[in-house]
Amino acid sequence: MDPSEVEFLAEKEFVKIIPNFSLDKIYLIGGDLGPFNPGLPVDVPVWLALNLKQRQKCRILPLEWMDVEKLEEIRELERKEDAFTPAPSSYYMELTKLLLNHASDNIPKADEIRTLVKDIWDTRIAKLRLSADSFIRQQEAHAQVTQIMGINHKAVRFISYQQEIQA
Amino acid sequence: MDTQSYFPVPPGVRMEENFLSLDDILLSQERLPVRMECVFPRLGFLEKSSDSQDIPEGTKMELPLWLSKGLYEKKRKVLSVELPKVYKEGWRTVFTADPNVVDLHKMGPYYYGLGSQMLHFDSPENPDIAKTLLQTFIGRFRRTMDSSQNAYNEDTSVLVGRLDCLEKVLFKSGQNGLNGFQSWEKGQASQLTASSLVLNYRKRKLVDVQA
Repeated sequence: MDPSEVEFLAEKEFVKIIPNFSLDKIYLIGGDLGPFNPGLPVDVPVWLALNLKQRQKCRILPLEWMDVEKLEEIRELERKEDAFTPAPSSYYMELTKLLLNHASDNIPKADEIRTLVKDIWDTRIAKLRLSADSFIRQQEAHAQVTQIMGINHKAVRFISYQQEIQA
Repeated sequence: MDTQSYFPVPPGVRMEENFLSLDDILLSQERLPVRMECVFPRLGFLEKSSDSQDIPEGTKMELPLWLSKGLYEKKRKVLSVELPKVYKEGWRTVFTADPNVVDLHKMGPYYYGLGSQMLHFDSPENPDIAKTLLQTFIGRFRRTMDSSQNAYNEDTSVLVGRLDCLEKVLFKSGQNGLNGFQSWEKGQASQLTASSLVLNYRKRKLVDVQA
């Protein structure tokens, strides 16, 4: 999977916005998007949120995990544990990049959040490398890949190819 | 996007070879020292060192892998294959001592592939060969993986020069992953660029024709 493909899938996640226009309920193939009333929060997919934001028609509310304290907790937990801990969301890297690039004014402490997410990412990828190395050393036939999001799959595929060679 | 216009057939795993894989075809060109166990009448022209009409029994020659595999039979009436130097006892101890210092490209660019194929020839040292191959791979894997994931936008010829073909494939796939991720981070992944096919084709543009 390409990083662009993973980003495309990440845009399907929902985020809360506050529109400044009004529109009736719209019926799309993927689902219905509720009526838009100025000033009232509504759940929309990220692709729509970003589009509206770029046209200055809404304000994006930060996701509940995009908070400095919460991310700090997650980072500490990730550093303590040897195994993978549950990530804030399946697409935390992509969502961080998308939201912080287009809507950083709506998200408090955007730079700190970016740093924290990068730290979490670095810790997880170091764990991935370590586990891949020990996996090869012990010649296990397969490994259980849990809690790893899209971008990592490329690395994992590379490794399982090698295992196949040596099995 | 790194999609290709065709999917090349990968080399075979373990002791098999894929008939259509280019890597396996090149691999089977490697020469093996071989001893003839029976006479080959009227094939003397194959052996440059003697001038006889036919190849007498007991001649030592070098034959490519594809020929040796085809002629080899368990009952050993036709050929007996010796192990190339790299798979013998002496080199095996070097590999077990420290796999990372060896220049596997010089040892025959298809070290792992040829080693797997050698297991077809029922030598008494087969279990040792298989074990050495595996241990060498394991020992070198960490370095290959780390170097492929950390060498961004650098000249990698020094790193790649000592790798065997299998390791080169892994290195390349690691680099692709890294480049893809970095270009995504920079935002280049969503920019539209002209495809290399179009640029190479050098179609005359309407603007240029009209001018």
